[in-house]
This record gives sequence, structure tokens and C-alpha cells, in this order.
Amino acid sequence: MSENSIATPPGTTSTFSAELRRVPGVAWILGLLVLVFALASRDFLSAPNLLNIGLQSVILLILALPMTMIIMTEGVDISMGAVLTLASVVLAWVLAHDGSLPLALAAALVTGLAFGVGNGMLVALLKMPPFVVTLGTMGVAQGLALLATDGQSIVVSNDSLQAVYAGSFMGIPQTLLIGAVVYALSHWLLYQTRFGTYVFALGGNPDALGLAGIRANYYLIAVYAFGGLMAGLAALILTSRMSSGHPTAAIGMEFDAIAAVVVGGTSFEHGNGWLFGTLLGVLAVGALRNGLNLLTVASSVQVSCIGLLVIVALLIDGFKGKK
Amino acid sequence: MNSTPPLLELRDISKQFPGVKALDHVSFAVHSGEVHMLVGENGAGKSSLMKVLCGAYRADEGEFFHRGEKVEIRSPADARALGIAVIFQEFSLVPYLSIAQNIFLGREFPGRFPGTIDHARMHREAKQLLDQLGLDIPTRTLVHELGVAQQQMVEIAKALSQNARILVMDEPTAALSDRETERLFAMIRQLQSDGVAIVYISHRMAEVFAMGDRITVLRDGKKVASLLPGEATPDELVHLMVGRSVDRSYARNFCQSEGELILEVKDLSSVNGVKGINLTVRSGEIVGLSGLVGAGRSEVARAIFGADRVTGGEILLHARAHRGNPDKAVAAGIALVPESRKAEGLALIRSVCDNLMLPGLSLAFPSRIYHAARARQIAGALIDRLRISTPSSQRPVRLLSGGNQQKVVIGKWLGSGSRLFIIDEPTRGIDVGAKAEIFALIDQLVSQGAGVLMISSELSEIVQVCDRSYVMRDGRIAGHLSREQLSEENILKMGVHHE
Repeated sequence: MSENSIATPPGTTSTFSAELRRVPGVAWILGLLVLVFALASRDFLSAPNLLNIGLQSVILLILALPMTMIIMTEGVDISMGAVLTLASVVLAWVLAHDGSLPLALAAALVTGLAFGVGNGMLVALLKMPPFVVTLGTMGVAQGLALLATDGQSIVVSNDSLQAVYAGSFMGIPQTLLIGAVVYALSHWLLYQTRFGTYVFALGGNPDALGLAGIRANYYLIAVYAFGGLMAGLAALILTSRMSSGHPTAAIGMEFDAIAAVVVGGTSFEHGNGWLFGTLLGVLAVGALRNGLNLLTVASSVQVSCIGLLVIVALLIDGFKGKK
Repeated sequence: MNSTPPLLELRDISKQFPGVKALDHVSFAVHSGEVHMLVGENGAGKSSLMKVLCGAYRADEGEFFHRGEKVEIRSPADARALGIAVIFQEFSLVPYLSIAQNIFLGREFPGRFPGTIDHARMHREAKQLLDQLGLDIPTRTLVHELGVAQQQMVEIAKALSQNARILVMDEPTAALSDRETERLFAMIRQLQSDGVAIVYISHRMAEVFAMGDRITVLRDGKKVASLLPGEATPDELVHLMVGRSVDRSYARNFCQSEGELILEVKDLSSVNGVKGINLTVRSGEIVGLSGLVGAGRSEVARAIFGADRVTGGEILLHARAHRGNPDKAVAAGIALVPESRKAEGLALIRSVCDNLMLPGLSLAFPSRIYHAARARQIAGALIDRLRISTPSSQRPVRLLSGGNQQKVVIGKWLGSGSRLFIIDEPTRGIDVGAKAEIFALIDQLVSQGAGVLMISSELSEIVQVCDRSYVMRDGRIAGHLSREQLSEENILKMGVHHE
């Protein structure tokens, strides 16, 4: 320990290379993807396509934001895609049986919340590994979605549902607005509230919470509950976009969400998370999927590319960490 | 010296763990404005006493008095309510929260909306606390960016923010530079004048005498003395810390002739803070590696074995340079018996037989095909030779007693042809009877021509068992003691800071 270590605040050296190193890996990746696809496809940088990337990314964003918090607690929720699918089926079913849109949305939110609370309670109270717990609830949600629909889509023709995805408010597509509101809400929760502070502590040093007399389990359940609730909200956009509830619509979407979080620089250890990084990560995954679509690459290959993206992001951050 | 009752008094506190009496009717009092030094060698009961104080352990017997009134300390919450704050060596900080968020964790100031935090006020008050401690760091700095010394200051600020009236510090200067130490002492004096009582655990004689108003010496879970700094010299204090009559129950025939050189370490440094280590181990001798907890003894073992990356120096095995991963070390004939046998030394759910066969598999089965019957036969012979008490060689190791588990950990290397044994804390958690057997086993190893490097926190063991010993301090070898010089007092004198 150097003599003046107490006086010198960390990270104050500002050479150019040091500044470069502070640019997170996800920004490099996003920049590189945009560059490559702009060169490969003339349509990529067109305004309609950029808007398309934004619209397609909102559902992923709504899953990835709570996923960031869950991963910060050294957990994971792999049931999100299946819960989103089930909530979408529930929403479509209520509408198809002459329910109103608010009622249908409430049903979807309750469905998501129930799974989130269930996940949280199993993880927090029974100390079961999050991966195993959510693997189980993923199966339950998937099975229920198939059971409720008999494997078929529930087609809905409801004008107010269609208006959610297609409509705009003061010239801005409503879907983007929903995404912005969810981002603002998540940011507020994580950085302005006690809940957020304790999310950092749940992953960083849960003993510190215990010593401070905080009921850590309560907050751990709340993190998973938030994830479930957001899956329910995402169901609104998904169902609106497809005008139907399909029992396999969002299966596997947790993979994209976890990838976006990891690409965004959130670590599975020590409660080290970064919400803005997740936003960039979502855009990187969205840009990758869109660009590969423009180049007519098969969707199975796209999954492999997202997997590679995660590994490259980890390599970049690992490389920077070594210096 | 005080007519008022002490701020906190403990009477006849006892705490029993399986096989050990950690605290045996210890009485202890601390007055407002007093720095009470707590000293004792490793395992004397200082940590247990501290954990009882902060409510992490519940005392089996004894009473607590706060300003003369009887109170109970059954949980951390009870201790906090009495104004007791503990600064452990391992911190209770959250790495990716800011300094201010850490100081006020769990006690955030409510903001305008329910559930929100008044960040402005939090940073303002945190800044005040840091100023009070003479720390010039932005309160928004994340804790993981701080060095150990700074993290410790944050812990102290956290304790102060809780209006702690009794501050317990466990070797607070262990990771501090001289200048930081001075600042800490200035702060302690200021707290003292504010009427805070301080319980201070230390190994450094200089600070014990410089800062202490009263010194309490613990040994083997008992209080052996409570005195004023003027009543003893540092040497007398060391004598009090050791002071037992030497128990000769594990007498052995010490090495007479000088055997061939097995291990020679020259100027070894590792990533884990070990610096400039020079040592030798010869055939037929047990060499001690002693020193206080945290002096870097296990780290030396890990560096030699290749478990920590070596950054400098040389390791010579039978006069040939050796460096590499643990598998190379095993192939070269080094056996490491680790400190935590459950985590590192045993496959707990596997049988005694499986564990015993592990290092010697390729020797026992040159054809690389495993024969269960032959394995049982070899294991059975080892079990008899080691006198492991188990109903069968097929019993899972986790069901054995600590002493028998340790025999398995050491014994499994007998069949591997290893020449150098590094044994870390061989008798931890083992009762007295089994200890003698473990030492007999180690003696057997050296009489077959092996060399043993034995790490132990129990000074008496080093003195009784070793042919000679190195003493470590702060990651370096502080000195070497020959058989004639070897005594607990000499080890302690080398191992503690005299400055």
C-alpha cells in the first residue's frame, strides 16, 4: 500500500489510453456491429430500419432490465421467456372471451407476478439454486401455455390491442414509449430507492445486509417478482404485435435477455451491474438479429451469433481488466 | 481507577465448542474513554470473546452488565442496541455501492417519495464523517476501487455513524502503512476523549503499550492477567501469553545427523504476498513454519506446491529446479496436506478406501485398470498401519471423527512415494489423544527418509515436534530457530512486531 493511497482518489489518471480503456466493451461491440452491417447492407442505416430495430428491441429490453437486477443478486431467471408466452396466451384468451383490454392486461400481469413471486420465494426461502428453480417454473409455464391453447394460436381481433403496437403518441410509437417508461422506472428503482441499494448488496455482500438488520429475503423475492411482472407487461406488446397468443411465441427469449445483460457488462458475481450497459446490450443483440435478417441469415445461425457475441464481450472486458 | 461502573462488563463468560473450551470463565470490563488491549497467542480465545461481544456467538454461561445493569447479548441486534460496533478483519462492505451508501446501509435517509433515499443528505453526512477521520475521498467512490486501508476507514466511519459507544477492533493496523496507522491512532485518541470505549486486539507490542490503558491477556480460553501498561515489559507480556509448562506428551527422537537436501527455496515470491523466502528441508527432519495467523505461512506452502503463481525466486527439489502446477508437484514427490481438510483434502462422501487410494492410484495399478478387491486390500493394510478407527474401508469419510479424517489425509500420501510433505495445521480441530497419533504418523514419515515442512499456529506443537523452525512475519521469513533456540517465547518474540 503506497504512502498516499488514502489521499488519491482512484481512477484520476487521464491519459488517452486510460480513457479508451474506460469505454465499456459493449460500446465497442455496438459500434462494430453497426459499422459492419452498414457496410454489408444499404438498408441497415435507413430510418425505417433503425425504427424497426428499436421496436423489435423493446420486448427484449423489458425482460433484460429486471434480468439485470436478478443477475446482480447472483441469480438468474430462465423462466422469463416461458412466463411471457403464458401471459400472452392468457391475455389473448381473456380478449377472445369478450374481456376488455384492461382486464386482459391485468390477467397477464397477475400471471407474470405469480410466477415471479413463486420463483423468488423458492430461491429466497428454500435457498434453492435459481437456475434449478426457474428451470422448473419454465417447464410449468410452457406446459400451461400448451395446455390452455391445445397447441394452437388464439387469434384476437381487437382494435385497442392492435393500437398498442401500431399506435403512436405525439408522433412517437407507443411501443418505444413503453420501453422508455420501463427503462426510467428500472433506473429509478435501482439507483434511487432502498430496494436498488439492497439489490447491489444481495450480490455483493449479503452478510452486510444481515448485519445491518435488513430482511434480505424480502428484497430477493421482490427482485424476482419485478421480473415476473415485467414479463406480464411484455406480453401486452407481444400479443399486440402478433394479434394472437401463441403457445411458443417467446420460448427461448430469456437467452437473448441474459445475453444482452452479459454483453452489457453486468457480472454474475459481486453485485456488479450496470443498467445503461444493459440498454446498449439490448441494442447490440437487436442490431445483430436485424442485420442478420437483412442478410437473410437463418435464425438458427443467429442464435449461434448471439452466443459468440457474449463470448466476445466477455473477452473484451477480460482483456481490459488485465491491463 | 473508576468509581463509576464500567460501560460494559462481562462476568464468567464460557463458550464451549465440540472438543474445545473456547472461553473458560472469562471476565472482562471496559470503561468509557478507555482503550482496552486484548492480547494472546493464536487460539487463545480473543476472536471468540469478540464474537460473544457482538452477539455473533451466544455465551453458554456468564452475565453481561451495561453501566452496572444486567443485560443480555443474544444477537447482533442486542449488541447494536447497546452501542457495540465491531470492525472485523474481513469487512462487511458491499463492493459496488459507494462509500456513502455503505456507511448508511440499512439506515438510509428517506427521500421525498416512499422507498426513496435522500442522496444529498447521505453524501453530506458521509462527507462529514470522512472529514472527521481526515479522509479526502469523494463519497461517491465505489468501495471496490478502494485499498484495504481505505476500506477499513469506511468501516470505522460506518461504526461512528451508528453512534457506537463501544468499538471493537480486530488488528486494525494489520493492513495499514505507518502514516495510516498514525492517523488511525489520532482518531482513536479523539474517540477516547469523546468517551468511546475501545476494545483493541493486537499482536504488535509497540501499539499495545503505546495505545493501551489496560491490557488483558488471554491464554487457552482463560484470562491470565489484566494489567496496566506500566506493570509489565513487552518480554514479560510475551511470557504471560505463552507461560504454560511445556507438555512433553509427544516427545520424539530428534534428527541427529544431517540428511540429504530435499527442498531448497531461494528468494521465493508469489502473487499471494509472499516475499523473498529462503528455506531448506532435509531428509529425516521436521521443519516448522511458524508465526502468527496471517503471516503468510500457508501462502508459502501454496507457492511451493504451485497452487499460487510464483513471481520470483527458485525452488530446488533434490537440487533440480522445480516449478509448475500441483500435478507436477505431485509427480515430483511433493505432498501437500492442506489446512482445511474438508474443503481441500478429502472427498467427503467417498469411502475411506477411495480417499486413501487417490494419490497412489497409478503406482498401485500400473496397468491403469482399477481392481476393487486389490484396492480394498491395500486400503485395509493402510488402515491397520495408520490405526484409523473405521468399521470398514467402505465407510464414507465424512462419518469419521476429525482425528481419523486427518489420518486419512496424511496417510493417503504414504503409498504415493512422496519425499517432501508440507503439512498445514495438522491438528486443527483434533482432540489431544488423536494429536499424539498424528505426530507419531508424521514421525514415521520422516523416519522413512521423507522431509516434512509443518505449519502450525500452536507454538507448543512447533516446539515439541520440530527439529528446527522458521518464523514468519508479514509474508517474510523473520528468523530461524535451531532445536536449542526453539521455544514459544522466542517464536513469539520473532513473530510479533517490536518496532
